Amino acid sequence: MATAVSTPRRASRPSGRTSLLALPALVPVLGVLVLGLGSAVLQSVGLMPLVGQPSFTTSAYSALASPAVSDGMRISLAIAATSTAVAVVLGLAAALLVHRIAPRRGFLALLAAATVPVPHLVGAIATGLLLSDSGLVSRLVGADPTTFPQLIAGPWWVGVVAEYAWKESAFVALVVLVSLSRHERELSEAAAVLGASAWERFRRVTLPLASPALVVSATLSAAYVVGSYEVSWLLGRSYPEPLPVLAYRLFTDVDLGTRPEAMAVAVLTVGVAGAIALVGTLVLRRTAAAR
Amino acid sequence: MTTISAPPSRRVDAAVPQRRRSRIGSVARSSASAALGVWWLAPLVPMLLWAFADRWSFPERLPRQWGLDGWQTAFEAGAGSAMVWSLAVAVVVSVIATPLGAMAARALETHQIRHGRLVGVLLVLPVAVPPFAVVFGLTSVTLRWGIPGSIALITALVAFALPYTVSVMRAAYAGHDLTMEEQARTLGASPRSTLWRVHLPMVAPSLVMSAFLAFLVAWSDYLMTLVLGAGRVTTLAQLLGSSASSSGHDSSVAVIAVLIVAPPLVLLAVIHLSTRRTARA
Repeated sequence: MATAVSTPRRASRPSGRTSLLALPALVPVLGVLVLGLGSAVLQSVGLMPLVGQPSFTTSAYSALASPAVSDGMRISLAIAATSTAVAVVLGLAAALLVHRIAPRRGFLALLAAATVPVPHLVGAIATGLLLSDSGLVSRLVGADPTTFPQLIAGPWWVGVVAEYAWKESAFVALVVLVSLSRHERELSEAAAVLGASAWERFRRVTLPLASPALVVSATLSAAYVVGSYEVSWLLGRSYPEPLPVLAYRLFTDVDLGTRPEAMAVAVLTVGVAGAIALVGTLVLRRTAAAR
Repeated sequence: MTTISAPPSRRVDAAVPQRRRSRIGSVARSSASAALGVWWLAPLVPMLLWAFADRWSFPERLPRQWGLDGWQTAFEAGAGSAMVWSLAVAVVVSVIATPLGAMAARALETHQIRHGRLVGVLLVLPVAVPPFAVVFGLTSVTLRWGIPGSIALITALVAFALPYTVSVMRAAYAGHDLTMEEQARTLGASPRSTLWRVHLPMVAPSLVMSAFLAFLVAWSDYLMTLVLGAGRVTTLAQLLGSSASSSGHDSSVAVIAVLIVAPPLVLLAVIHLSTRRTARA
């Protein structure tokens, strides 16, 4: 680290010693991912049984063809897509508002920054206290609990989507806000002076500048939602079960025979989250190339 | 709604004759801001009300009787020791993940290490991997190899915190000027005093932010602690999960939720105020 006195900015050429600096971080990341996912895969194909002899089988994966899994997959993707879409729209709107209204800059940005540290588990409980048939909204409108729409544990998963959208919109807002910085205002003003309408400025200046941040935050949010357990567990209904809820139920079943299936559902969820990340990366490359 | 009018800059107002539309625009913007404010605040309102409600039966809009019964119930259920557990786990994870992230970021940004791109991708990979799948597999490995669950838990949480600390520190080192350190060295400072008196003070705000994010990853976690801790690591989140799904005692559940939300928000406020003060000074 202290070798370079003469060369200006980039200190040293690749060397074994500096590579060692990254090693302490790589060890836990690789260790946890390789051991965790590796053992999940081995257990899903019967090569690492809790009891008995290991023998290779794909029966856990054949079991994935059941309607419980395909329904779970569908509901997982629907929740992730809907909540991410809402989060992107609201997060972008909030970022633009904060970015444009300099005097009241503090208020919304502060609320977004205060929402991000709230754990999803707390968010889920708070959403329940707000939206359930005996929740605050129902009390405020003086609803009859028998006719109040079933927002929590109901057929439309409103509570689950609302909780994810609530927290992820704050995340999107913060990420987009950082990406806009001062640059956008200057370019937008220049475009306005040159006669661009408000819509044209949004379409041609603001959106292109914000889009990499939007793609990144939307991807992270969707991948997170697909693999997240506690919100759907607390606010969802018993069927269909989103993939993590289904996997956890199988994982904790008293019948140890369901373990391989639990692992197969877990591996499937990793695949779905990985596919989302991959699509996000490809879209990001294209938006970067388009600029 | 945000696009109707020109930004409130005098220069542009002179160039674009949109006075009337800009007044409509400012009303629209204020109401949009207010709506978003309600959107982010609304869920926290019933939680706070419940935390101080001794009696609040259904159709009533506000608690009939205010009080601290929920706090008493929560602490009788073990909220105090759960708070200690949560703090211990989160502080340990933060203390490990922050320097590891900083070292890796420094290596990636200033030393152009071998396979730097691959290392960079690997270190952020955990954000795209569902944690539940990882701990499902990890728990059988730890059982087989006799690794204590708490060590497995800390390692797993560090792995999931590292993407955040690495990213924050990479941003810091990307704009970091090495010449200061080089000058200190030329003037005869030892590597150690260069590190402590030149290098670290320059990246201190980012170190604080990474430490906060790593703390938050561990503090917020529910499922990894549930699976790897196997019921022995009873953090606040564990207590909240178990009381929310069983007791149905809304006010003590709300109290535990408040106990989880408050410390990070206080930390955030302290960080915010202190960085503003140093920025001004």
